[in-house]
Amino acid sequence: MSVLYVALPVAILMGASALIACIRCIRGGQFDDLETPAVRMLIDDPVATGSAAKSSQSNSESRSDVG
Amino acid sequence: MPHEDTQTIARPTRQPTSVACAHCGLPSPLPEAAELPFCCEGCRGAYHLIRDWDLGEYYALRDQLGGARGEAVRVPSRLEQFDDPMTLGDSVPLDCGGGMVRSRLAVQGLHCGACAWLIERAAAKQPGWHSARVRLSDHTLEAVYDPQTMKLSEVATLVSRLGYQVAPLVESKRQLREAAENRQHLVRIAIAGFCAMNSMWLAVALYAGTFSGIAPEHRWLLHWAGVILGMISVAFPGRVFFRGAWAALRTRTPHMDLPVALGLSVGAIAGLVAAITERGEAYFDSVAMLVFLLLVGRWIQFRQQRRATESVALLMRLTPRVASKVNDDSSVTRVPADSLLVNDIVRVEAGDTFPTDGIIESGDTQVDRSLVTGESRPVSATCGDHVEAGSCNLQYTVDVRVEAVGRESRVGKITSLIEEAAAQRAPIVQLADSIGAWFVVSVLLMAFGTLVYWWHVDPFTAAGNAIALLIVACPCALALATPLAIAVAIGRCAKRGILIRGADSLERVNRVGTVWFDKTGTLTVGQLRITRWDSNDDQGDDATLAMAAAIEAGSKHLVAAAILDAAKRRLLTIPTATDVCQVPGLGVHGTVLDHTVHLGNQSFMDSLGISLSSANLVTVREISSIGSSPLIMAVDFTIVAIAAVDDEIRSDASKVVRSLQQAGWQVGVLSGDHKETVKRVAAQLGIAPDLTFGGVAPEDKLAQIRASRCDGQTVLMVGDGVNDAAALAAADVGIAIRGGAAVSLDAAPVYLSSGKLTSLLDLVDACSRTVTTIRWNFAISLGYNVFAVALAACGWISPLVAAVLMPASSLSVLSLVLISRTFAHSNTSSSNTSFAEPNVRIA
Repeated sequence: MSVLYVALPVAILMGASALIACIRCIRGGQFDDLETPAVRMLIDDPVATGSAAKSSQSNSESRSDVG
Repeated sequence: MPHEDTQTIARPTRQPTSVACAHCGLPSPLPEAAELPFCCEGCRGAYHLIRDWDLGEYYALRDQLGGARGEAVRVPSRLEQFDDPMTLGDSVPLDCGGGMVRSRLAVQGLHCGACAWLIERAAAKQPGWHSARVRLSDHTLEAVYDPQTMKLSEVATLVSRLGYQVAPLVESKRQLREAAENRQHLVRIAIAGFCAMNSMWLAVALYAGTFSGIAPEHRWLLHWAGVILGMISVAFPGRVFFRGAWAALRTRTPHMDLPVALGLSVGAIAGLVAAITERGEAYFDSVAMLVFLLLVGRWIQFRQQRRATESVALLMRLTPRVASKVNDDSSVTRVPADSLLVNDIVRVEAGDTFPTDGIIESGDTQVDRSLVTGESRPVSATCGDHVEAGSCNLQYTVDVRVEAVGRESRVGKITSLIEEAAAQRAPIVQLADSIGAWFVVSVLLMAFGTLVYWWHVDPFTAAGNAIALLIVACPCALALATPLAIAVAIGRCAKRGILIRGADSLERVNRVGTVWFDKTGTLTVGQLRITRWDSNDDQGDDATLAMAAAIEAGSKHLVAAAILDAAKRRLLTIPTATDVCQVPGLGVHGTVLDHTVHLGNQSFMDSLGISLSSANLVTVREISSIGSSPLIMAVDFTIVAIAAVDDEIRSDASKVVRSLQQAGWQVGVLSGDHKETVKRVAAQLGIAPDLTFGGVAPEDKLAQIRASRCDGQTVLMVGDGVNDAAALAAADVGIAIRGGAAVSLDAAPVYLSSGKLTSLLDLVDACSRTVTTIRWNFAISLGYNVFAVALAACGWISPLVAAVLMPASSLSVLSLVLISRTFAHSNTSSSNTSFAEPNVRIA
């Protein structure tokens, strides 16, 4: 059970770093507008044609790969 | 995404003579074969612009997202002010690297995601305009563009061609403060949430340890970790409650913060004592959770209030900030309106709003003073006449000698009056505050009593019993009951277009009393319409109406607008008129198709020596007797047509008045309009004559409201326009209706953004239901606490059981609030498809 002495501070520290990141985001203004992002995700990407379509598709694919 | 054919948007409406505009949905004349209907050239331009950019998906998206139809496009005459840094305010472009500059603009007319989509996509189609980012929450647009290829005025022109009004952004101190406050709220919630969640799992470990055994040193570690988190929660995010409680103590006004602060300090001290003495349970988790929940509730309330005040600020953005100053050498320069001095001369063109109060120095015109006085008819103004800031110059360019600027102007003074009226309002003592304060004190006394009693009976269980009592008596549910029920109700109302600023309004509307309505724009549509057009048999209605429209075509007079509207609805071909001349206060004359046409009131005909036949006189009297204004048309000095011009009653007005009267409200009218007109409207709606007041000045309205408040009744005031603003603030609850002036929205705690009077019934319904829910919440949480405290005092509850029972009361209150319905009927009345369809009756 003495692992608790390590695990507890580590867990709190991990949480605290997430908290600090969150506060930085709030201060940076990412949470100022809570309405537009909610509707923006419902909007499809533009249906591009030809080469533009390919590049945007490969873009989104690579993005999903990373995600 | 289903690509809806745009043809289907042009659904035919009930009237065969008009169809919905393909862009904005307003009734429009029937188009030529194979063409789309448009209500005006602006909408046609916007539609084709959207099509040319291949963004037609906007229409499908708009319908899908349930946004309202776009507003009819009004492309303003001057946008070059966007290239003058002096007039840009906070919109001055800033360099953002890569040769690009960034500017934030205020955009009016954003309805839903489709609008954001349209503007952002439009930017991508325009060379030189790098990107646009629309923020729906504060109705702004951040445009990043290349100043080499594009000017800010071009950005503004494009956006306004799409049908949105653009203005330079002016961020008031209040807005900046609120934005900062919003961030502070979120930071506090983040810290409180972190503490609450972490202390929760620590508490779970401790409780599990109590059952299955735990080494004392581990118990000590978990205990202290939890206590530290609880302390952080109370000391940092929870500090706001102590500050509020201290202010409440200093000003001796009971406040919800007081019991909360007491509860928090008792919890924190008891937890600390338990940790130090290593006896009993430390309920730091409850304390941290309480701080978190209260902060969330507070933030929700803050957001709702902010949403209401934002809508006011949006309208304020469109008032003129720039004026054309006439210099001594009679050249004209554009200067900020604030920099004007008394006795400066300002040139105001037709269609512009007067930037200051003043006296007309040269020129005759018609002025729409409805924003200042509520008078729906335009007033003629000539040399030496007084004009107010905020009123609109309808006809000709005039020069105005400045008399008062900014806060010194009449609008400014009315604004200060509103602020005073709002400040005078005594803060109401909420039930929860008064109960909460007593509750905390009695709980502390009982805990002390329990401790003393059990100390004598059984010293080992004494502390445990007292702590159990403190835990179960935690005023968590009580603290949550009012804010939660109100926040839920406010949120649900907002979804229906009822914005509520100040939760106390909900409680006040619940008590039946008197409702005062303003007439212009509240009970009526607020726009002049031709309701009757009688012509001689040999001419025919269409021919005379077309001629009338011809001579009115160039005028911005409200009557002219009504005639042109009527002609357009009948799809008349309007001939060209020559030698058109306006006679202020009387009428207009000109030559159409080689005929001399006169159009005006009866005095105009009298002055021309045109006599009215007895049949004509009967018609004129008939029209006057119902409160409409007669309009007489003569061709070659013979009367050919008599028309009635009227401000039409809203279709839902009589239903609303009747329902309110049935519910026991006294309904009255207070209007600055003509007494006869007000009387007629009141009679048609079934409002008692002794509660009908016409021709009332703003100051008299205020007196009337105060008088009815003296009777101890709840007084509601429904209206818009600056003349109502003081009355709205003086009433127990002021209710502003959309389309009214900005200032009234500042004064009114309730704002019906749906613009429908039926929302008033929804509001009354929601208020009574919410108050009922709050009472049930009180009954449940108090009953629960009394029962549990009794058990704890008898020593039948251990601290552990108490800690499990404590959230149960909060949960029951929470579920009651969420289960209870705010509105009696489901949301059918406020669907976006029902467009105001003005029915023009032309006899």
